[in-house]
Amino acid sequence: MQLPQFEYLKPATLSEGLAMLAEHRADVKILSGGSDLLINMKFGLDTPRYLVSFNGLEELVAIQERPDGGLRIGAACTLTDLVRDPKIETQLPALRDAIHSVGSRHIRNVGTLGGNLCLDTRCWYTNQSENWRATRDGCFKTDQELCHVIKTSTRCHALNTSDTAPMLMALDATVELSSAAGTREVPLLEFYREDGVQHTVREPEELLTAVLVPRFDGRAVFSKLAQREGLDFAAGTLAVAVTGTNEAPRSVRLVMGSIAAAPKALAGCEAILLEQGINDASIDAAASAARDALGKITNLFTPSGYKRRLIKNFVREALAELRDQAD
Amino acid sequence: MHKQLIKLTVNGDTHELAVAPNQTLLDVLRNELGMTGTKRGCTAGSCGVCTVNGEAGEAICSCLTLAIEWDGRAVTTIEGVQEGSELHPVQQAFLEYGAVQCGFCTPGLIMTAKALLDVNTSPTEDEISEALAGAICRCTGHIKVKKAVRRAAEMLRERDAAAR
Amino acid sequence: MSAKKEELSVVGKNWSRLDGVDKVSGRSIFTDDVRLPGMLYGKIVRSPHPSARIVSVDTSAAEALPGVKAVITAADAQGILIGMNQPLLPTKFVKFVGHEVAAVAALDEATAAAAAKLIKVEYDVLPTVLDMTKALRDDAPQLHQKAKRNVGWEENLDYGDPDAAFAACDVIREGEYVTNPSHNCYAEYHVCVADFTKAGQLTMWTPTQTALLFQKSLAAGLKLSDSDVRLLTLNSGGGFTGRTATRPHHFLAALLSRKAGRPVRIRASGDEEFTMCHAGGKVIYKLKSGATKDGRLKVVEADLLFDSGAYVESQMIVTLLTSRYLGALYPIQHARYRGRLVHTNNQPYYFHHGGGIAQFQFALGQHLDGLAQDLGLDPVEFNLLNAVEEGHTTLEGSHYASCGLKECIEKAAAKSGWKDKRGKLPKYKGIGIGIGAMASGAKGLFKHDTSAAFVKIADDGKASLFIGLPDMGQSSHTTMAIIGAEVLGITPDDFQVVSGDTASDPLDVGAFTQRGTFNTGNATRNACLDAREQLAATAARQLDVDADRLVFRDHRVYPDGEPDRAIPFKKVVYDTLHSLEGRFVMGRGFYNSPLKKGTMAYSFGAQIAEVTVDPGTGVVTVDRMTVAHDVGRAINPRIVEGQIDGQVFSGMSQALYEECVMENGQIMNPSRLDYKMPRAFEMPEVDHIIVETVDPNGPFGAKEVGEGPIVCTMPAIANAVADAVGRQVREMPMSPWRVLRAIQ
Repeated sequence: MQLPQFEYLKPATLSEGLAMLAEHRADVKILSGGSDLLINMKFGLDTPRYLVSFNGLEELVAIQERPDGGLRIGAACTLTDLVRDPKIETQLPALRDAIHSVGSRHIRNVGTLGGNLCLDTRCWYTNQSENWRATRDGCFKTDQELCHVIKTSTRCHALNTSDTAPMLMALDATVELSSAAGTREVPLLEFYREDGVQHTVREPEELLTAVLVPRFDGRAVFSKLAQREGLDFAAGTLAVAVTGTNEAPRSVRLVMGSIAAAPKALAGCEAILLEQGINDASIDAAASAARDALGKITNLFTPSGYKRRLIKNFVREALAELRDQAD
Repeated sequence: MHKQLIKLTVNGDTHELAVAPNQTLLDVLRNELGMTGTKRGCTAGSCGVCTVNGEAGEAICSCLTLAIEWDGRAVTTIEGVQEGSELHPVQQAFLEYGAVQCGFCTPGLIMTAKALLDVNTSPTEDEISEALAGAICRCTGHIKVKKAVRRAAEMLRERDAAAR
Repeated sequence: MSAKKEELSVVGKNWSRLDGVDKVSGRSIFTDDVRLPGMLYGKIVRSPHPSARIVSVDTSAAEALPGVKAVITAADAQGILIGMNQPLLPTKFVKFVGHEVAAVAALDEATAAAAAKLIKVEYDVLPTVLDMTKALRDDAPQLHQKAKRNVGWEENLDYGDPDAAFAACDVIREGEYVTNPSHNCYAEYHVCVADFTKAGQLTMWTPTQTALLFQKSLAAGLKLSDSDVRLLTLNSGGGFTGRTATRPHHFLAALLSRKAGRPVRIRASGDEEFTMCHAGGKVIYKLKSGATKDGRLKVVEADLLFDSGAYVESQMIVTLLTSRYLGALYPIQHARYRGRLVHTNNQPYYFHHGGGIAQFQFALGQHLDGLAQDLGLDPVEFNLLNAVEEGHTTLEGSHYASCGLKECIEKAAAKSGWKDKRGKLPKYKGIGIGIGAMASGAKGLFKHDTSAAFVKIADDGKASLFIGLPDMGQSSHTTMAIIGAEVLGITPDDFQVVSGDTASDPLDVGAFTQRGTFNTGNATRNACLDAREQLAATAARQLDVDADRLVFRDHRVYPDGEPDRAIPFKKVVYDTLHSLEGRFVMGRGFYNSPLKKGTMAYSFGAQIAEVTVDPGTGVVTVDRMTVAHDVGRAINPRIVEGQIDGQVFSGMSQALYEECVMENGQIMNPSRLDYKMPRAFEMPEVDHIIVETVDPNGPFGAKEVGEGPIVCTMPAIANAVADAVGRQVREMPMSPWRVLRAIQ
């Protein structure tokens, strides 16, 4: 597969790069690790006129401790660097698990955190070559008002398959978006949209420059459901973060990924656990609520019936693991 | 889209090359430098036959990185693994343990294994499997490959001990 | 021929691959590495519809694109058929998604791709039929006039009196199983380079399992004489029964090259790899078997429906192979077989690793495991009671001159601890057995199954062995060198194996149907015996003994019992070559099964799989495989183990992971990521038990090992899963969702 033609721009500084994004906002893509973008370009799904490379910029690869005890992670840190970072390993082991489950070592060696958070949504009707897609009409992602997955839908249902997003959402992380006009911070829980096409609130001229993770004194679990370990997109991911005790939790966050166009925070499950504490009965109730909360599940990559059957057990096991961590 | 001059160091030799932005590192290695030891496979980062080692010795799919991003940087390919006329322990172990059959994935696997062992000569079973997970091997089913990597680790530890 | 093990000095040792150093240093050349001056890059235009009438093909825009050097359409390809009835480039109808319609060659891949996009094809979409059972109905669209009810091929066989046999049975079982479409998924994508620039002479580089058949096919299609087609086989990146026949891209590259007057390379790009050649299609197996209450299997009936896709190429081989399998493992006297190849608007299907037999064993092996349980017998007991033995002749005439099946079953059961595990494992853990056999050769598929070999020996005592058998990773070149070295009393590294050029390769049908070790091995042995005879004449004179008293061993030649009188091998060669009358040391040999139909030897095996099933997700983990295989003689034990490993992988992969998910005749998962195969994490520990029955007809007693093991793996894992879950999962692959459904 060939890459289409494009103009390559390499800014020497961050502000130079942001100016380039602003200037070419109508037809520009950000080159980070490239392991997602370049494939989509080979498929002819992305054909930007300009590619701006932010690799190698010092200010984007720092991992710093914040005054409140949390972390500020540069968005261009490679996933391998993050997996190896002692601060993340000791303070946020579940986050390390999530980062570690992305792709393979080969992918993590070039893939970045920012790239994984902004990972384009995936659908097996679209993430295919041009020739493959020529067998059927286009869709919301390409050039028609149509969804092949849910035929009656008025929006795109491509899946968000980022492994880091659910975990960082459960940890109440915030992303810093920078542009030539300045920076803004957006809580990750508000960053994603239930739309496979416009799947984040990031504007084309904005660069995700840092991830801010608040201090976390609780327990967290990241779980990935895949047939293969070491290189597989998930049939579902689950991130849970709890502060307080099993008997009296102070906060509960439960986010499911790879199941819809945006990772889903399951408020109903969270409420059950907050009210009832984390025990066998509430875990069971939360697991049932999770399945009900997810609504229509697509038949993408794995049969929807299977995903529905799985969810209860999947949630139950992760919550049980979390509960047991208190011992 | 015009070509740009880059300086790329491959196995210690620096080359000045004119590359188009849309040429991958794999394209440049095979087509511009004629170094066909690195193979072309899925070209989408999922089979690992195109694996080379980056500056920190890390395993990278050369099909998913732009050559132009490597201006001023260094890369190691399968052609640069041998130590003079001596095979590298990873290469020796692959031969000794029958981890080579059709040979198409072999360069990619060796570069993947080398990346692992360059930073860690005592990998656990899981670490070996994890490193290899990004590379396909249809003939051996990975079974003898894992044994070869274990053996290579042992050889490297012995070599390190002897050096001290 | 059946030398005692202690008498062998070379065979049976773990010699390194002759081509190993090149392969680990990146020096081995594969077809995609070939660069020829002026070489162009080809791209194929394919139908996006499963069934349509071609209204028009407009190539003008493509031809006008700078850098485009040739465009071909149906007019250029007239008369060329792929297989029995598939037009290379159809004029009227396309019958599957991916059907080739035109092709273009240009200066670089990007231009070729752009030009392919500019070729405008207008289609009139027609009704399709994508499901086999629907295709058999009266109201289904007919794909071919001659194929009534879309049955492209049918094979019906009756042995003995199955109805009477069933009537006399105490226990009868019926069951239906399904296996799904798959892809061979070798590391090396489909590729060829064609140089047809000299009129009437085609040179082609391509990975292949049989240069001979490719040469003949290309010659026939292009109306050339065989010898005007030169096949150059460099290294082949895996075969797995997927590179046994020419495909459209071979012909298209040749035609483009002729038209452009320059060499042309065509390589599958990305998902095209899944379109260029398919492995097996969907198969439905309806099985019925009967036994008497003493546990003896008496009769098997099988009705198989194969989705062969839009055209029949060589898929009828699958009905031949599976029909033979009914009586392969158990000495039944009665059987009934019905096999039908059904046309649908899916891509034409061929063979996956296992040749249709392994996939059949997924069904039959599980079915009979169920019958054993109906009889109240432990499956190992059932198999030991019923398994064939040496000296048996099967229903269709295959004779087992050597057979270690029972030994394999016993050893695998013992090593795996079967007795302590079966029926005693915790819930969701299971242990299961699968057995199998595989023929070492192709006699009956073709009129002859010949392999020939030449050897020449030089002054320095080193030999050049010429064979026509491609090495696609199975180490055949090294195996031949070992066989030759044993005969001549030298070592494998004294050999150069010269192969891969039809201009100089001796006759060899190829590396499929597991014929290499047996046929080419015997040919090599015969060629080296011929050469040895010439050397023996010289040494006999020098030592003043009868030539048949001479021993060739350890690079020396001496009369039996008198090693102190040894002459160095090198000297015998030198003296032979530097004689006054100017002699030579060149041997020739060949081998062809003397039977009219059927091969001389079969490998046998038994495997025991131990699995853990996750009841929450249906994910199956294979914890351990115990593999016992009767290979006759292990020419090189490490290579035999490697073959076993690779087939455990492939069998496990097909049993649990691999599936081309089809929708509207199109594969939804045409990538290495989404078409699932296990990787390093998923592989179990494998215990290898090599059983050597020393076949009387194989070279030093060797038989095949290239596809026998995989036949055992799929049923072993399926039966282990059934044991773990308490129910059979009757559809392959046993993906998590199918297993979960069986649990819940």
